[in-house]
Amino acid sequence: MKLKTSKFGAFYLSLFFVVLYLPVLSVILYSFNASPSTAQWTGFTLDWYRELFRDRVIVESFKVSIEVALLTALLSAIMGTASAVISMWVTDGMKKAIQGMMVLPLLVPEIALGIALLIFFNSINLPFGHLTLVLSHSLFCVPYVYIMVQLRLKEIDRSILESARDLGATTWQVIETVILPLVTPSIITASLLALAMSLDDVIISTYMSGAKTTTLPVHIFSMMRVGVTPKVNALCTLILVGTFFIVGLSQLTKKQNKEAV
Amino acid sequence: MKNRRFSLVIGILVIALLAVVVVRYVNRGEEAPGEVNLMTWGGDFIPRAIIEEFEKETGIKVNYKEVTSNEDMQSLLEASPDQYDLAVTTDYMVDILRQSDMLAVLDKSKIPNYANINPVYHGAYYDPNDQYSIPYAISISFLLVNPEGVESLGARPITSYGDMWQEELVNNIVLIDWSVEIMGLVLKSLGYEYNETDPVKVAEAREKLFALKPNIKRFETNTPEDSLVNGEAVIGFMYSNQAVKGQQARPNLQPVFPTEGMPIYIDSWVMSKQAPNKDGAYKFLDFIMRPEIAARIADMTKFTSPNKAAEAHLPADFKNNPMLNLADEVVENTSFYIGVDRVLDEYEHIYSEFKLR
Amino acid sequence: MQTLKRNILAVPIVVWIGLLVGVPLLFVFVLSFLSRDSLGNIVVQFTLENYQRVFDPIYLRVFLNSLLLALLTGILTLVVGYPVAYITSNLEPKKRALSIGLIMLPFWISSLLRTYGWMILLGNAGIINNVLRALGVIDAPLSMMYKFSTTLIGTAYMLVPFMIVAIFNSVDKLDRSLLEASYDLGANKRQTFFNITLPLTIPGIAGGFTLVFIPALGLFYVSDLLGGGNTIFLGNLINTQVTRGRNRPLAAAFSMAMIVVAILVISLYGRVAKDDREGLFQ
Repeated sequence: MKLKTSKFGAFYLSLFFVVLYLPVLSVILYSFNASPSTAQWTGFTLDWYRELFRDRVIVESFKVSIEVALLTALLSAIMGTASAVISMWVTDGMKKAIQGMMVLPLLVPEIALGIALLIFFNSINLPFGHLTLVLSHSLFCVPYVYIMVQLRLKEIDRSILESARDLGATTWQVIETVILPLVTPSIITASLLALAMSLDDVIISTYMSGAKTTTLPVHIFSMMRVGVTPKVNALCTLILVGTFFIVGLSQLTKKQNKEAV
Repeated sequence: MKNRRFSLVIGILVIALLAVVVVRYVNRGEEAPGEVNLMTWGGDFIPRAIIEEFEKETGIKVNYKEVTSNEDMQSLLEASPDQYDLAVTTDYMVDILRQSDMLAVLDKSKIPNYANINPVYHGAYYDPNDQYSIPYAISISFLLVNPEGVESLGARPITSYGDMWQEELVNNIVLIDWSVEIMGLVLKSLGYEYNETDPVKVAEAREKLFALKPNIKRFETNTPEDSLVNGEAVIGFMYSNQAVKGQQARPNLQPVFPTEGMPIYIDSWVMSKQAPNKDGAYKFLDFIMRPEIAARIADMTKFTSPNKAAEAHLPADFKNNPMLNLADEVVENTSFYIGVDRVLDEYEHIYSEFKLR
Repeated sequence: MQTLKRNILAVPIVVWIGLLVGVPLLFVFVLSFLSRDSLGNIVVQFTLENYQRVFDPIYLRVFLNSLLLALLTGILTLVVGYPVAYITSNLEPKKRALSIGLIMLPFWISSLLRTYGWMILLGNAGIINNVLRALGVIDAPLSMMYKFSTTLIGTAYMLVPFMIVAIFNSVDKLDRSLLEASYDLGANKRQTFFNITLPLTIPGIAGGFTLVFIPALGLFYVSDLLGGGNTIFLGNLINTQVTRGRNRPLAAAFSMAMIVVAILVISLYGRVAKDDREGLFQ
């Protein structure tokens, strides 16, 4: 059944997006502010964009952030999905254990987790850098993938799985042909969320990034003492424009593919 | 068919993931011979332009680890003392690191430009024999005031901390957000010293602190000057580099050096006891203590330089700025926060109570 | 033997997370019983003092403050987010993907910058005040910053996507035939919503509430910036004690207390969601 979205619904949704994007638009607007402080608007300038490309640290740290976020999203997608799928087969006790493990990272305050991981990784001689960043970020991202895939899996009728098995399908075949296609949308949404959370993490990253790696949020936060420059606003504006561009492009190619078929 | 492709894609992604991690991991292993790892506040506390000049001149690469607190520096240094060569940290943390045996004794013979440091900064409490630290940036805290704003509220002109308690100033003061600093301000206004432990005096300060609450607009450590620039407050208690920026944005703002006395901070270079590249670190220290380099750093960061020889190279507006080129009577009226740890718990508790009112 | 075979695949996962979170958690637990020397460095000496201080009346008020903020954030994100999730799930597939994409996109921008974005909007010389002044609605700038409500708005803003995603998941898999049946039986839209849709999406609501409530307990820079530091929440307290307060053991004790509160909330949630066997964590 298709519920038609009422006029009020469309209005509400638009209003919500306006509020959601107002702060984002302010960030974009102030990337053109001549004053380095957000306290006042002193005129229009493009200087911050020019300076952005000269700023090796911002560009480097953004690269690190993107690499770490992509790896984290991938690792979380795999681990989270695996945990959720495996949960379907294990005994109830083990299922409870998995669930407990999945909630745990969400409970510990970030700063406590950060310092504790610093000492832990140090004691097992793990060098700080991409590896520690990805490992620690995936800790708080895996639960979200697990939760969303788990919710999706509940839709699967157990009888389908059993009849597939009766027809001689191996467990792997069941996973591949029935389960994975079904949970793919959830995995994608959850991975996007994981990507975003990794891109935004600052507290744990401060302790995990080692002497030579800086992520963008760590760089931005550490600027606070001397003032966050609008260069960062400029970068975020470019990130947004870039994302819109990529999404638009993929939509376009999708359309063309469809037409070709 | 479609599902086969699905597994293939997943497989490729997993392999790519492993490959990247392995490559990164291996890269981490090889320590380039000419690298110096330093750690301090972020932003341009040590200007990148200066660092790049050093890199160009010497071929030594500088890695700049950015942190947001002295305590983070301590944690990171304790966890991996062999990862960091240099750090710039505030006076009291120099004291803690020194007593915790984390710091290397500096070999001054490798830093000829050390002679440029103004001798008045020698022998400070945190490093009595000047063995472990070299001052880098000096700041004090004082009041930045909007005199017209104060007048339009009908309050007396501000000359001391005591003037902040005027009823007319309700919701018009912005303060640095640190218990020790705010308790220090109140203690000074009562004629006592910083980090007082006498319960009677502390109780007196507590009452007086609570009386200030209605006048507080906001607590802000990083950009308190913004509140004076946009006009939401008329008095701000802040660090000198912030006050300088505030006055640049709004020229009618005036510094007031409270008669009761002010805190002073000396952010200083220290070297890790297990620094992997001590020679490179000495080269870097010597480079940034060149008079013209030190002068440029001071001008870029808006911190007072302890480098005596740099004064000749400072631009006129820096030299004529009373917030940067501190007058002798101002400096004489400043003091350090000494033995912060003794009072922290008590002050934090009072401060929490103050904020919850 | 059969059980062992069924469980063997799950072992690496449990060990992996158990190691990465369990060990640090154990560390925090042990730390909360340790003392400090005169330099503020940690010494291995057992004490219960840190837990005594957690129950100090002032710090208990910080707990209550945080619980209030987290609760109000949960309610606000629910009220705002439920319709968004509901409307989105009823959109045609293409628009629905667009809507979900638009909800996620702000995450790409550092939350610190988005918080600054709110300051630019609400500040004394901010956009809203300037627009209102230009329109002649007001003479003096409205004071919208540094209040509890400003912190609440900022916190809810940061967390509302979690609420939406959780509810969306729940609304999206509603059995549409139930709704049809309800309409066939003569119920109107409103009756159907309150009698069918809402009860069936309770697990999603509870799940979203948990995903919002727990982070809201720990966020700190939102209240520092938007709330002007005028009050204290648990996140600020822990953060201050770790850094400028130089009292890690006390921060560890606060962390343990916060974990206990969070577990209580989750078990409460478990009760709400149990009947439907649709829970987030089961």
